[in-house]
Amino acid sequence: MSSWAPLALTTLTAVLLALPVTPALYELWKRADATPLPTSRHDGRITNFAETFRSRLQPLLPQLERCRNQRDLLRTCIEGMEVLLVGRDGFDFDPSLTKGVAAVMLSEAPMIPAERLVEADVFTNCGLSLGERAALRAAWCGGDAALGKDSAVLRWLHADGSIFLSPGSSAYGRLSALHSIQLAPGCSFERMSAPQIVTVDRDQADGLLAARDAREACSSSDVSAMVTTSQPRLRIQGNFSLAPGETLSANVIATGHVHFGSGSRLLGSAKSYKDTVVDEAACVHGSIVSGGTIHLGQGCFAAGPLLAEEDVVIARGSRVGEPDALTTISSLGIQIAPGCQVHGTVWARVRGIVEA
Amino acid sequence: MLLHLFRLTLLLICVYTVRHYWFTLNRLFGRQRHPYIDLENAAWPAVTVLIAAHNEEAVISDILRALLEVDYPRERLTIIPVNDRSTDRTREIIDAFVVQHPFVEPFHRTGGKPGKAAALKDAMERVTSEIVLIFDADYIPGKALIRQLVAPFFDPEIGAVMGRVVPLNVGKKSLTRLLDLERSGGYQVDQQARMNLHLVPQYGGTVAGVRKSALDEIGGWNEDALAEDTDLTYRLLLAGWKTAYENRAECYEEVPERWPVRVRQIKRWAKGHNQAMARYLFGLAKCSGLSKLERIDGTLLLGVYLMGPVLLLGWLLAVVLFYNGAQIGGGLTVLALGAFTTLGNFAAFFEIAAAARLDGSRQRIRLLPLTLFGFTVSLISVSQAAWQQVQESIFGARQLVWHKTERSRTAPVLEDRLPVVLEESV
Repeated sequence: MSSWAPLALTTLTAVLLALPVTPALYELWKRADATPLPTSRHDGRITNFAETFRSRLQPLLPQLERCRNQRDLLRTCIEGMEVLLVGRDGFDFDPSLTKGVAAVMLSEAPMIPAERLVEADVFTNCGLSLGERAALRAAWCGGDAALGKDSAVLRWLHADGSIFLSPGSSAYGRLSALHSIQLAPGCSFERMSAPQIVTVDRDQADGLLAARDAREACSSSDVSAMVTTSQPRLRIQGNFSLAPGETLSANVIATGHVHFGSGSRLLGSAKSYKDTVVDEAACVHGSIVSGGTIHLGQGCFAAGPLLAEEDVVIARGSRVGEPDALTTISSLGIQIAPGCQVHGTVWARVRGIVEA
Repeated sequence: MLLHLFRLTLLLICVYTVRHYWFTLNRLFGRQRHPYIDLENAAWPAVTVLIAAHNEEAVISDILRALLEVDYPRERLTIIPVNDRSTDRTREIIDAFVVQHPFVEPFHRTGGKPGKAAALKDAMERVTSEIVLIFDADYIPGKALIRQLVAPFFDPEIGAVMGRVVPLNVGKKSLTRLLDLERSGGYQVDQQARMNLHLVPQYGGTVAGVRKSALDEIGGWNEDALAEDTDLTYRLLLAGWKTAYENRAECYEEVPERWPVRVRQIKRWAKGHNQAMARYLFGLAKCSGLSKLERIDGTLLLGVYLMGPVLLLGWLLAVVLFYNGAQIGGGLTVLALGAFTTLGNFAAFFEIAAAARLDGSRQRIRLLPLTLFGFTVSLISVSQAAWQQVQESIFGARQLVWHKTERSRTAPVLEDRLPVVLEESV
């Protein structure tokens, strides 16, 4: 018995020592997780989901055309995805017909009835309409898309034409259009991208006119070229304020607040550790980066990008970006008044709203 | 005297322990800052990409091919492979690309001072754009990487930007697997936490960018710097420029597959860091344009490679004092000693474990106990490097040479072998 004791003790000690490294040795032997970490290799475009969806369904277009000729419905499958092909007018997304399908392809412009929830992704080469309080998971449409009052898009919506959001409608996820996106008061959004994003009043024409005035007041075609080159740097410990009507050609960095007086003009970019406030009719021909909130007053112009670590608040008649120089607004929350224009991408990480 | 020295080493170790825990807990539970990540549309500026290459025939075509496919306005992109006195087929391969793609403008360097900084300094004379991105030749950039690295420069305060490095040859050797974990900890936790906390993210010299006007303002690349990246980080910081870290700007690299190569690499880093510490520590303490936290973090970052010898000294002193029957005494000292012998030693490993979790990798975390071996090798290597520097400061330094890290790749890799993430989360 005693002759085995040293051996038992040694074995026990070896086991206790080996125990913590056993999983490591097992992993070295089995190599269960020895591949490189996946890196993000997509191009980060807002339209990625829509483009992937369209390219997956593209092979079904001839079948859809046959359905249209026969004015028929057909269930089919592509890449393991159940698809309902609709070749006739007046399809009302009856849940009994769409049950179990991942996508619905339509040959005609669909109208989703009021208060209907469509859980399948929708593809149409024509336009698309959502009735009041209807909800749609995702859609790609070749024409214009119109969202009825209090309707919702739950994941993404892409239109090759324009997108119109009625009062109270909500766009969760992504909205993208090749032409424009128009948002009525009370709409909410998260991420949108279009050459022209317009928030309109109930009286739409007034809003567009106000935005056009801002452009005429501030835009200058040769200024945008200036900000891509290096500007003198102005570093301020504390707050910075540019007096009303003054023009400054520099990149401004302040560890406090930054304030641009009404009608002032910055030929360069601005960075504030705290809030940035741009008063009425002031222009910033460069980017605005803020550790707090960016407030754009009435009739302002900013070439962009606008990057805020808290919120961006844009007052009536302001404009961000230019039709031929698209830009980005990014922050946690974004609040835009009616009568504003943004050219490019608006990215609210938490929630964006159009003032009611 | 020895007791005071011991207490000092304990204090230093505790400070770094707290720092590791602070960073890790911030990454796990704190607010994350990615202020430039959403930039999709902008008036993208002209950019020059410099590829530092010294005898890179095995890898140069991979990076050139990858750069040709990037999503950046072609008319605003210039690629300059900086072929520094290569004696292999690097020149031939680059010239073959130039024939097909005229916007690749090679710079074949045949003389001048050795070293990456010197080569980059010469190459900068050809750069006309405001933004310069720098890659080592063994890196493989993704499609959106250039935009991701350029985006922070819309912030007028940003002088340099650093992306995340991800090892490609992970599965080759046990060493590469350990380095994969170490890199995860360094970037996923350390660098991003410094970004979150408005501290001092470090410019890393590759998968990185610098604003030309900022570089000109501080006098360009420092040819005498052993680690031009650390040197640049601190010179920019002292001149009021910030470095941004972009955790999602990921790029594959090749990590050393042999221990001697790894030892040489870490010795070079340690010497460069220590040199930067000697040069900039005093300036950092005096600089008025920095926040208190930036100064503290900047100082700790400079001293990070000195902790190897400090730890060894601490262990040695602990043994000596123990056998001399010294009274360590005092509640705080006992607490510090406890941290030193238990938590302190594991803080860095906690950081790695958190990084593996954040990366979503489940199995590789099993290797964590083995990182102790890599840690020991690093400890000895950086201590040796520090000792060599002490000797060199007394007896004079040898001539500066480019200690290029040996490449293990022998042929270009196929693009479709890389793991790809196509989907984004909404």
